[in-house]
Amino acid sequence: MDANTSVPLEKIGVIDLYGTIETPENVVLTFRLAGPGLRLWAYSIDFLVRFLVIALSGIVVMIMSIGLPGIPMGMWLLIWFFMEWGYFAASEGFFRGKTIGKHALSLRVIQDEGYPISFWSALLRNFLRAADFLPFFYCFGFISMMFAGKFLRLGDIAAGTMVIQERRVKLPREPIILEKIQPLDRTDIGSFVPAHRTLVLIEEFLERRFVLTHRRGHEMASILAGILAKKLDFQGQESLVEDYPMAFLARVYVTFHPTMSAEDDDDAAAERAQKPRRKTVVAY
Amino acid sequence: MISKREFRRQRREDWARFTELIRKVDNSSRRKFTAEESSEFSRLFRMVCNDLSIVRSRDWGTGLALYLNDLVTKGHNIFYKSPPSRLHQFLRFVGSEFPRTFRRNFLYFCVAAALFFVPMMITWGVVQRRPELAARILPAAMLDQAEEQYKQAEFKKFGAERAVMGGFYVRNNVGIALRCFAMGILLGTGTVYVLLMNGIVIGAVVGYVVGMGHDEQILSFIVSHGSFELTAIAVAGGGGLILGDAIVHPGARSRIDSLRTRGVEAVQIACGAAVMLMVAAMIEAFWSPAPIPSEYKYAAGGLLWILVILYLSLAGRGGETA
Repeated sequence: MDANTSVPLEKIGVIDLYGTIETPENVVLTFRLAGPGLRLWAYSIDFLVRFLVIALSGIVVMIMSIGLPGIPMGMWLLIWFFMEWGYFAASEGFFRGKTIGKHALSLRVIQDEGYPISFWSALLRNFLRAADFLPFFYCFGFISMMFAGKFLRLGDIAAGTMVIQERRVKLPREPIILEKIQPLDRTDIGSFVPAHRTLVLIEEFLERRFVLTHRRGHEMASILAGILAKKLDFQGQESLVEDYPMAFLARVYVTFHPTMSAEDDDDAAAERAQKPRRKTVVAY
Repeated sequence: MISKREFRRQRREDWARFTELIRKVDNSSRRKFTAEESSEFSRLFRMVCNDLSIVRSRDWGTGLALYLNDLVTKGHNIFYKSPPSRLHQFLRFVGSEFPRTFRRNFLYFCVAAALFFVPMMITWGVVQRRPELAARILPAAMLDQAEEQYKQAEFKKFGAERAVMGGFYVRNNVGIALRCFAMGILLGTGTVYVLLMNGIVIGAVVGYVVGMGHDEQILSFIVSHGSFELTAIAVAGGGGLILGDAIVHPGARSRIDSLRTRGVEAVQIACGAAVMLMVAAMIEAFWSPAPIPSEYKYAAGGLLWILVILYLSLAGRGGETA
């Protein structure tokens, strides 16, 4: 479930989690949209925050009202009003599309051209909650999300906004461990050369193998490993393909990848050096 | 052709520096770049955009492309952010932008006002003559309560009670107006319903109380804040009708585009109406129930009506061409 697959997203007939926009720099950016489930969680957190603010200030007001009747109570009603109509608009408008709940779930509201949300859009999309809420608990909003695409509720459609999931921006690690892997013996394989795409696929799989358990990783790798072994007419150990398909894929990768001549180890060194360097960068 | 590893090695310094810059201003519109940082940022931004295109076109895997995609996204978000909002912008909005936007969309206001005031006047007139009809519109308990409230010649004294009511009026009335606006997106039907409904209910209450012979108390009470309050409800209704009309009559645009284009003006109008209603709430809480002779209230009320009309028709006019 990651972006940038080579199949155009329009051609996949499923609910699309990704939105794309084209920037003025002619770069196409992909966004991971936030669906109703995540947004419900964020809403629940915000609801709790608003409820607590109203309840806690209510207690303060009750205490203050003993000495000073009237005014604290009036202020409390204003706070209540603000929590009802202003909380979302103000936090999205002033904190670049984030409320406390959205922040907790790394969601952000942006304009659908990719720009930060404007103040008026924040106001509009949140005033229109009153319509999305109808007839009870965001029914219209949910229906709109299902039919408008991009999970837009009515407020999003009118304000030209969308809610996206933000990822932690992290440079992916190179599969460093490949350095130590021996290429396959040329005498064990035929003349078949795997396509560049296949090698890229293997590389990505190995890059991300840490998200899988060892067993599941081998299980998934065995499909491709089996096919490749057949195509390559692999004559080496059977057990390599059958018991350690991930290792087999790694060796195929090392064998055929043009730049895997194992001359540079400084990528790993840079990786290790990154933490101290970050501190020095902050200084200037 | 440069290899992927070579490429990464050459570019990662820039990516790291770009990340640093992003981190510096992320999540707060208050933090800013220095002049050098700004130009460094825009240079790096273009380079990272370029890197992303290279990675994509050479098919160097989703991991790296995703990383750069997210870097560019963050950069894009910062590069094109609008300047932070300030107080004087709010004052300019109230002082000139809102009345101008209002006048540009005057027809919507007229329709909303008709939907609100005409049923109000009819109900008022009918119920004043035959107060028993009011019970068909509103529950009897509510009518009794309304009559009770205006029966007393003197309103409750200033102080504690009034501040509470001020808060209540803000929450209640602004809530009604914003709901009236928001429901305009349901092809205008919600707005029409809220306007008609409120017009009829207000007309019935006033007609009933006047019909029971408390005309001076209620009229002197509502004349002042009514200027801002009733007008503002129709103004908000006009905003809601813009939303509905944008969908029903999109013109050359698609319906969604039309809604989006006109949504900004609509929400500005609704926001102006909300400000007007807050003013109305303060008048209603602290001036309208003042224990002073009714003549003063009528005089002040008249002035306030003129003020509202002048504000909506003239404010911001001078600078319009500038």
